[in-house]
Amino acid sequence: MMRNIWWVIIPVLILLFGLLAYGLTSNPKHIPSPLIGKVFPTLQGKDLNGNDVTLGVVDGKPTIVNVWASWCGACRSEHKVLLRGARRYGDSISLVAINYKDELVNARRWLRSLGDPYQWSFHDLSGRAGIELGVYGVPETFFVNKQGIIVEKISAPLTDKMLADGIALMNE
Amino acid sequence: MNKKIKNILISILLLSVSSLVFSGDVNEDPLERKVLDIAAKLRCTVCQNQPVAESNSGLARDMRAVIKEKLQEGKNEQEIVKFFVDRYGDYVLLSPPQSGNGIPLWVFPPLFLLLAIIAVILIMKSRSEKVVATPPSALSVEDQERIRLAREAMNKSGEDE
Repeated sequence: MMRNIWWVIIPVLILLFGLLAYGLTSNPKHIPSPLIGKVFPTLQGKDLNGNDVTLGVVDGKPTIVNVWASWCGACRSEHKVLLRGARRYGDSISLVAINYKDELVNARRWLRSLGDPYQWSFHDLSGRAGIELGVYGVPETFFVNKQGIIVEKISAPLTDKMLADGIALMNE
Repeated sequence: MNKKIKNILISILLLSVSSLVFSGDVNEDPLERKVLDIAAKLRCTVCQNQPVAESNSGLARDMRAVIKEKLQEGKNEQEIVKFFVDRYGDYVLLSPPQSGNGIPLWVFPPLFLLLAIIAVILIMKSRSEKVVATPPSALSVEDQERIRLAREAMNKSGEDE
């Protein structure tokens, strides 16, 4: 009788410890986005120069939407990756941005001094566009394919490899 | 002495009751209350384990503003929660959903508790079966005499009732 019970208890314990190990080793900051596989929402607003822009309109090109802010430290290292990417991939993709909860002056100064890889930056002062896209931290990057569907969302500073992988996914 | 303490206690009691007379009505905006009720169910995604209602982070403040706006538009709680889940995923819910992926989280704890209780009962049962009485021959003459006396005493008290 006793021996029979251990045959049940031990596998259950192993299963529980397995789950515990999985839980403890996975990154709590990585939150899978429910937006992957969905259509990128259409958002209207102004760019940093006051021109009307519409985010989400697809001109038949895969589009990268990068969320950045001048107050975001990690965005600085990512910026170099984006500048390199813009040169490397050129016209095959569109690279646009959401300038998230940032003052116009600071945002413009950032682009002037560090270089501007974006076609334009959507000025999201209120953070409302960010909520619409489930943004919880900056930088974040959406990879949108030709059909306007979000194929990948990265909630971390991009590396050259992440950029290349995302672009490969967009072109699939 | 006792009377003095009694008097003090009574005056304290009267004083504490008297505050009710001076307290004014608390004006609470029912809309704000509703906003906080909904925000209490949502996780502030930038602060790991704090509800949106309690967090002072920029994002939580923006989310409260969105909740308020949607309530003013006439949206109900369910629609507002769904709005956030659609954008931030189930992670935004402080209490896991009682459907889909959330089911194991609700089912397993009571199940494991039940299994544990069954296991404990089985183990205790098998242990009590195993108790072997000490063979009488191993007892000394004095011990056997004591047992006999105790039995007699027990029978006697039983008869008295």
